[in-house]
Amino acid sequence: MTSENAAPTRILLVDDEPALREPLAEYLIRQGFAVTQAASAAEARTVLLNQTPDLALLDIMMPGEDGLSLCRHLTEAKELPVILLTAKGEAMDRIIGLEIGADDYVVKPFEPRELVARIRSVLRRAVRSGPAPQEDALYEFEGWQLDPVKRRLTDPQGVVIPISSAEFRLLVAFLDHPRQVMDRDRLLDMVQGREAHLFDRAVDNQVSRLRRKIEDEAREPRLIQTVRGGGYVLATDVRRSLPGAGA
Amino acid sequence: MRLRFFPRSLLGQMLLAVAAALLVAQAFSAALLYRASEQRRQIGVANGLAFQLVSEPRFDYREAGPNLPPPSHTPSPTPPAEGRKPPIPVPPEAREEQERPRRWQRLRVEHTLISPLRPGETRDTNRENLLREILAGQGIEPAELVVTNRAVSDDPYVKQRLRDTEKWRGRPDWVDRGLIVAGLLRKGEKEWTVARVPHPAPEPGAVGGIIAQTMIIYVMLVGGLALLLRRITRPLAALTRRMEQFARTRETDGQLEPAGPEDTRRLIEAHNEMEGRIAALLDEKDVMLGAIGHDLKTPLAALRVRIESVEDPVERDRMARTIEDITRTLDDILSLARVGRPSDRPENTDLAALTASVVEEFEDMGEDVAFGEGARLPALIRATWLRRALRNLVANALRYGGGKARVSLRREGDMAVLRVDDDGPGIPDHELGAMLEPFRRGEASRSRETGGAGLGLTLARAIAEQHGGSLRIANRHHADGTVAGLTAEIRVSIG
Repeated sequence: MTSENAAPTRILLVDDEPALREPLAEYLIRQGFAVTQAASAAEARTVLLNQTPDLALLDIMMPGEDGLSLCRHLTEAKELPVILLTAKGEAMDRIIGLEIGADDYVVKPFEPRELVARIRSVLRRAVRSGPAPQEDALYEFEGWQLDPVKRRLTDPQGVVIPISSAEFRLLVAFLDHPRQVMDRDRLLDMVQGREAHLFDRAVDNQVSRLRRKIEDEAREPRLIQTVRGGGYVLATDVRRSLPGAGA
Repeated sequence: MRLRFFPRSLLGQMLLAVAAALLVAQAFSAALLYRASEQRRQIGVANGLAFQLVSEPRFDYREAGPNLPPPSHTPSPTPPAEGRKPPIPVPPEAREEQERPRRWQRLRVEHTLISPLRPGETRDTNRENLLREILAGQGIEPAELVVTNRAVSDDPYVKQRLRDTEKWRGRPDWVDRGLIVAGLLRKGEKEWTVARVPHPAPEPGAVGGIIAQTMIIYVMLVGGLALLLRRITRPLAALTRRMEQFARTRETDGQLEPAGPEDTRRLIEAHNEMEGRIAALLDEKDVMLGAIGHDLKTPLAALRVRIESVEDPVERDRMARTIEDITRTLDDILSLARVGRPSDRPENTDLAALTASVVEEFEDMGEDVAFGEGARLPALIRATWLRRALRNLVANALRYGGGKARVSLRREGDMAVLRVDDDGPGIPDHELGAMLEPFRRGEASRSRETGGAGLGLTLARAIAEQHGGSLRIANRHHADGTVAGLTAEIRVSIG
């Protein structure tokens, strides 16, 4: 993470509405980012000819070429991390956005601090894992299935089990490291980042919530076991498969 | 009370009405026909009797004496036997000639000195009157006239005659029907003339004819009517199906071609036109709502960014909360407008986990919400929507219900019941119904401070109905009648 000191992170901000774009750009600059503004998809493409930003913030609804189309171009051709700005907050928009490769999305009106937290989180993931071709592959364990794009957890009978985003990230942390002991600090580090209130949430609390949803008997957990001396382990194997490949 | 076989369709009711009317009309004409034929028969009988009584020769042509009654084997108490003379010999061929009228005559006409009405027999006054009229028409004024009905077995005269003839003629068919016996005493005479006629046989064709006629009319009329009505009801049924489909999908594809009679055609045309207008209005509404959502949320987002530069953190937080309130109201309005046409498909989802995740959101915000975790309860629902409905109820309970909420989930038959209880002051009973209307808030919370536009319950109800269920809100009472709190229940259908 030395790059943050050496050169500011460059962000391309694309929104047709100057009333939002300009103050947001100012805010991000105050937060230490270098921001290039574009009022349309066409303008954004021109900008991209001369420079390569580290991350793009795209408004979905724009006149002319819309954000989703530009997003596809950016993630496929430029392999650029993208965060979508959406006015609707509809599940459909989120799923479409994430399916065409956006890394995250925020719903207008968003909290600027939350946006910054997400920018950092997306950049951290981009640095750590690089482009992850397996990103949208389904997790499978003990008959359960987790779709990381739709954040959809289904039990062995195919019933959807609704989980919160904190539980989702915790579960993904476990599924990415099956049969490895994860101490609380490590889990906290992997789970935090998107919602501010999670920083001071005890990991134990989240684990017990998750257990209530996926364990047959929450008092005698079989899948997520407690390790003496502080930590948890996912005591099962995990398979990953591309959506639509299995079934 | 509902008749089980009463037809519900236009076709069935119409046919039933026509069939019933036809049945009544046919019954009337059958009754009239029967009466006419009955009258004809009675007149026939009376005429027969009158003919016998009147045309009866005053003398037996075999008897010599002018004023003597004809010979008779009647066992009447005073048989006029003393006046008898030896029969005049006749040649065999003439004898044969005479035998027949004599037998005919003797079977029917009898002369007695006493009234043929025997003790215990009743007079048939109807026939007497009829007969008297006919006789009057012939210029005969009877001194006395009796008519009575009698079984053959009770009539020794006929029995005697039958015994004589039965041997070679066989038993006549009228024996079982009984006799009508008429006695006439003319003025200035001492002897009764007694005529007998068997009861007339019923006319067999009368009732059968009317039934056959009714049947034919039924087939022609009801069948023809059924064909005609089907021409009306088939397009109507198609139109009904089309309307149901339109109500479900709100798509203008697959509109009906106008068919059937002119009236039905015009109905279908008018309906198609209306569908087009409704679809256009709905599209307009969606475009407008989308525009509102976009046009208002972007400046709100700008405002939200701008307030970050406000120095005073208290002031900044207040501004942020106001923006959140506006956003929530905007979301509720947009959701309410969209709830009728859900874009996401229902999924089999565990309601227990869904409820838990909503409760956990509130816990994470430091709210006091209790939920006794129960067994799995999978149901075919739209999770995003139902979560929102439940969230609204819990938020209401926390806001107006004293800061505490209890959530529970149970199953009742094929419905799942999500219940939210608070310990607040409740809502006055007369306001309960109005609480479900848009932009309504309880009396206690009219001030802007508590926030919310009052769409929460409206939206929750719309979502519950979208899930084939309902929303109920009611006050809970202590034993002494004071309000213990408010209960809100969402019922959703499982599966």
